[in-house]
Amino acid sequence: MLKTPGWEMMIVWYFFLGGIAGGAYFTAAIADNFGGPRDGRVARIGYLLSLPLTGLCGLLLIADLGVPTRFLNMLGVFKFWNPMSIGAWGLGIFGLFSFISSVLSFSTSEQMIGLRRKASLVGSIFGFFLAAYTGVLLSNTALPFWGDSRLMGALFLASGASTGMAAISLLLFLSGAPAGEGWGKLKKADRYSMVFELLVLAIFLALLGSAARPITSGHFAPLFWGGLVGAGLVIPLVLELVGQRVKAIAAVTAVLVLAGGFVLRYVVVMSTQS
Amino acid sequence: MARTLAMFTDTSLCIGCRACQVACKQWNELGAEVPEWTGSYQNHSHFTDKTYRLVRFMEDPKPSGDLAWLLMSDVCKHCAEAGCLEACPTGAIYRTDFGTVNINQDVCNGCRYCVSACPFGVVSFNHETGTVRKCTFCNDRIHNGLGPACAKACPTDSIQFGFREELVRKAANRVEALKAMGFKDAQLYGADSKGFLGGLNAFFLLLAKPATYHLPDSPRLPQRNVVVDSLLSIGSALVVGLGALMAFRDRGKGDADA
Repeated sequence: MLKTPGWEMMIVWYFFLGGIAGGAYFTAAIADNFGGPRDGRVARIGYLLSLPLTGLCGLLLIADLGVPTRFLNMLGVFKFWNPMSIGAWGLGIFGLFSFISSVLSFSTSEQMIGLRRKASLVGSIFGFFLAAYTGVLLSNTALPFWGDSRLMGALFLASGASTGMAAISLLLFLSGAPAGEGWGKLKKADRYSMVFELLVLAIFLALLGSAARPITSGHFAPLFWGGLVGAGLVIPLVLELVGQRVKAIAAVTAVLVLAGGFVLRYVVVMSTQS
Repeated sequence: MARTLAMFTDTSLCIGCRACQVACKQWNELGAEVPEWTGSYQNHSHFTDKTYRLVRFMEDPKPSGDLAWLLMSDVCKHCAEAGCLEACPTGAIYRTDFGTVNINQDVCNGCRYCVSACPFGVVSFNHETGTVRKCTFCNDRIHNGLGPACAKACPTDSIQFGFREELVRKAANRVEALKAMGFKDAQLYGADSKGFLGGLNAFFLLLAKPATYHLPDSPRLPQRNVVVDSLLSIGSALVVGLGALMAFRDRGKGDADA
């Protein structure tokens, strides 16, 4: 006799876009700090992508509230053990870092670039947080499947990484970037993330066993197996293997990975509530 | 802190008159709702944002082939370890000085996380106010020396109100008496403050297994896995970060890659 919170498409979009924002930011921070001079474009796109997405995330969260004008009430309390509470704080702090890194990504002064790199290292902690906490939020409810999932946060983080990287990759393609070093490294990082995501997903399902039925069988199963596992992870990995040098294939795989990330949030959020 | 107050619902005394349900609606000014067909006398099928007290009608098959008609007036359990209270990010859900759990309607912003955190499906979202609602333990009444409206209205003393430790003692005696009368499955639900959720401040005497009354056998605090889930997420972040680090550090080779 449990009740579901009635979180629908706005929350699905929030989980999806929050994952991309966090993933794109920490990817940018890693490229910025540990990559070479030719990775600058990846870093800048990552920072600049995370900023509007974070703003959009905030708007989605506020719009989904029963009383949107009371959204600041979330910031009157800090419960460090409560994913919803630290999530509101974390999103705000992440937005601040995203803003700082975005502004500094236009600077050419050595001092400012150094500051940006240092700031983004701290900010990437909040990027990882933003991608993962939504999963931990769901896994600490009284509802079946959500509450049974010990790896929901880990899975959402891996998905945030793969979709964040795919989003940067797609923007590189759309901006007509030359097939330089940065893109190749980014695609490699995305492949690592996707392989890891598949692995986490397998353990996630194994640990859940029959509790995973809401997504592995029934109404949501075709979307889960076809949309996430097939089109969102396995096919992109195969495409990457056979067509690594073709730019258009990189764009197609990026779109597929993004769609898969959306499907993951959709089936997880909606299946338990239907 | 004042002494903990409690409600003891003795289902063996319930006659299904629903005076409690009506008294609750009247005192708390909860609007009328369209009835629904539940297949029995029960209405509604579950708690709503306008039904805080709900008399449940259960038909339990007996070995003889007859049906036992079990009645139970259900309500928010005011858990000592309350999932809704832990989940609330605004501080709207709070514990009163009497140990009950209440929602401040002027603070709640309708995020609905508490709805998913209640192991009993009590907390309900009100679409008109945009806030969540549940039994207040008649907070206004108990702070003015009155018992909750439901307990006051109950004609058979199925719902009793008082100090928790006294009620628990009373309830234990009642179980013994019922067992002596042949109700061998008579048991208390949530009376033990060392039991699940630290004990329920609205606890019950049941005549059958909790599942018969649609109650979970041993509900647990939904937030119990925050640390494990967070550590696993941090592990995931380390692997993902390391992968990206390796990809971006890998100079020279990358040129031929794209």
